[in-house]
Amino acid sequence: MPFISQFHRQSDYNYFSSTTPIVIDNGASYFRIGWAGETDPRVIFRNIVQRPRHKATGETVTIVGDHDPALLKYFDCTRSGPRSAFDSNVVYQFEIMEYILDFGFDRLGANGSQIDHPILITECVCNPVQSRCKMAELLFETYGVPSVAFGVDAAFSYKYNQRHGICDKDGLAICPGFTTTHVIPFIDGEPVYKGCCRTNIGGFHVTDYLKQLLSLKYPHHMARFTWEKVEDLKMEHCYIAPDYTSEARLFQKGTKEAEDKTRCWQLPWVPPPVEEPPSEEEIARKAAIKERQGQRLREMAEAKRSSRINELENQLRGMEFLLQQLEQVEEAEIPSFLKDTGYVSKQEIESSLVKVTLSLRKAKGEPKAEQAEVEEKSDSSMNEKYPLVNIPDNMLTPEQIKEKRRQLFLKTTSDGRQRAKQKRQEEELERERKNQLDEEKRLENPELYLEQMRVKYKELSEKVEQRKRLKANGNHSNGNNVPGGVGRGERLNAAQRERMRLLTTAAFDRGKGEDTFGAKDEDWQLYKLMSKDNDDDDDEGLDEDEVELAQISSRLQEIDPAFVPKLDVGPSQPAPEIPRFRPLTKEDFQILLGVERFRCPEILFHPNLVGIDQAGLDEMAGVSIRRLSTKDQDLEERLTSSILMTGGSCLYPGMSERLEAGIRMIRPCGSPIKVVRALDPILDAWRGASTYAAALQFPQQTFSRMDYYEKGEDWLRRYQFCYTL
Amino acid sequence: MEPEVMKAELVLPTHLSFKRVQMYEKYPKGQARGRHWKHLKQILQAENFQNYLADEPNYVNIESSPSMHPCKRICDITGFEAPYFDPRTNLRYASADIFKIVRSLPNEYVQRYLALRNAAVVLK
Repeated sequence: MPFISQFHRQSDYNYFSSTTPIVIDNGASYFRIGWAGETDPRVIFRNIVQRPRHKATGETVTIVGDHDPALLKYFDCTRSGPRSAFDSNVVYQFEIMEYILDFGFDRLGANGSQIDHPILITECVCNPVQSRCKMAELLFETYGVPSVAFGVDAAFSYKYNQRHGICDKDGLAICPGFTTTHVIPFIDGEPVYKGCCRTNIGGFHVTDYLKQLLSLKYPHHMARFTWEKVEDLKMEHCYIAPDYTSEARLFQKGTKEAEDKTRCWQLPWVPPPVEEPPSEEEIARKAAIKERQGQRLREMAEAKRSSRINELENQLRGMEFLLQQLEQVEEAEIPSFLKDTGYVSKQEIESSLVKVTLSLRKAKGEPKAEQAEVEEKSDSSMNEKYPLVNIPDNMLTPEQIKEKRRQLFLKTTSDGRQRAKQKRQEEELERERKNQLDEEKRLENPELYLEQMRVKYKELSEKVEQRKRLKANGNHSNGNNVPGGVGRGERLNAAQRERMRLLTTAAFDRGKGEDTFGAKDEDWQLYKLMSKDNDDDDDEGLDEDEVELAQISSRLQEIDPAFVPKLDVGPSQPAPEIPRFRPLTKEDFQILLGVERFRCPEILFHPNLVGIDQAGLDEMAGVSIRRLSTKDQDLEERLTSSILMTGGSCLYPGMSERLEAGIRMIRPCGSPIKVVRALDPILDAWRGASTYAAALQFPQQTFSRMDYYEKGEDWLRRYQFCYTL
Repeated sequence: MEPEVMKAELVLPTHLSFKRVQMYEKYPKGQARGRHWKHLKQILQAENFQNYLADEPNYVNIESSPSMHPCKRICDITGFEAPYFDPRTNLRYASADIFKIVRSLPNEYVQRYLALRNAAVVLK
């Protein structure tokens, strides 16, 4: 059950006399303040401070404790995270401590010119004297408190429970807290700090671990896992398994029990609105529009074509007319006659005439066969133009030889062109044939064909991806592990091998001893060579596979209704949103807590799961008893038969059984072990302090301002409470 | 200030009657505020615990020793028992399927998993 803060301003401050002490439980998680002698603290809030800027006015304000997030929207909280006065369990930031005390006293209803009541405040075990000094100074100087007493919260809790008969006067207090865990032995009702043991792990680490695990498992929902939410999750769902390994095995095998133990958190999710298939009229309307557009396009095309035909015909007629005119003119006058028209000679006119007729024919849309005929005719006519080719060399004059060479050249080029055309035609035929075969195969057995295609697609895509990954990994490890070199276990591909070879031989093989690489300009051509090698090799290999993959995927898209092409999700980080392979379903928005439920509190027993190399809870009990260094068997038995669990982090279900089993492992066989939980692990420390402060002998245990100034720091160091009054 | 913020009394008032020295007097604006507080490590160093008797408990002596129990090895990704270890990424894994996942993780995630165990490579 989550903790609930309460911080209403109390109104009865003035009813309490000046001798009534105020009791403060200053914990790393919560701050509790109230009057001595009462059962419950008046004001409880989280021990954090935020200093955001107000968006409208721009002033920096202080907000203490956790508040309704809706109200915080008026403040700019980006540069001010919540800050705590604690570092591990010791107070070190007294400015923040002051804000917290301000708030606490204010909500207790304090008025008047100073706090006129003695104060009992809790601290950690063996608090460093500097922290104590500063705290005392703060209370005396700023608040004007008459007297102060410091005590350990775990001890108060133990005394309270002892009073209620839960534990005996000799016993062990195990106190897993927010940032640290303590085990303190009690002998004759007094804590023996010599045997105390502290591990720096607590509820904070458990929540943090859970938060990280969930963020890594569900990266797209990372924004949902705020610290407060994760703490709620932890308090509601986490438990401690009696034996971690067997529990983990249950989950690994996927048994029914494991299914039952998995809790599921459904994030709010709205399915996207389903598009309705367009109705009949819609389809008809769209078809009509398309018809009309098509019609319009066709008309435009017609108009263009007819205008072009007209133009060509005009040109043709003009040229024919010109030719006719030419025939009437004499030879010698042709050039001057033609100067105006823009043609130089008769041949030119004739050739352009031929061209125009050809294009006219094409525009009119006559079958290509005729065109081919025309081409062939022109080809054969070309052949006749190589008269000199077949005549052997020795029978020709030098000019004729030159002439022959030119003709030979022309002939070979045209021959080559013909050959290329033929090859193209053959390929076309071949492809047609293959397609035909494919179609037949598909028609006769569609299922099998589909299967084969799919399998081939999968194989190819895996191969391509693997190659890509290898390349990326190769580049990665080249960049990260050993710059420019080879990562362990990497095989060099041919390009990299070549590169290494070039580097080692060509670059450093210049003369003995001296490295003159770079003195000459052509040395740098080496790099061009290397990069060329790299590119060539990689591209070629990939191309054919990728091309085939593209072909198969397009084919599959046509014929397979259920096929979805695999998107190119690169090996680099997944996008912050779910890759859209398929439409999002409800399951994508569910957070499953299975193994995490008992993996996270396990770190209390095995801190080296999070890298903290210290003893866990069960081992700490043994360490503590060992540190007492009494060989009194009896005492040890008395200690283990009254073990009290207190502190916020001991509320996990299954904790006491696990602790008992753990301690039994390290104690001699048959020794009595009894583990009990405090009545209220969270509030018991405050309650114990409250009853203590209400006792008559309490004033003797406090120290006043005068004492502090006279006796100084050294005395403060040795200041210890006496818990039995 | 918006009315609901005033009503909720979210903000700490700057002047409190029961204080002898107010915050704004103690920490005038413009001065560096948080930097002169010593962190725990510095406090402990300044304490000079070796000058005092080793018998007396102090903050440093009561810290617990490294664990004597055998280290529990669990898979970094799933939490199952993990007898295997990947030398390239330094992650522990429990079976071949998980190994596939381990090898396909981008480097950022690998470092974050390692950071859970306090085994990440920290470049200062």
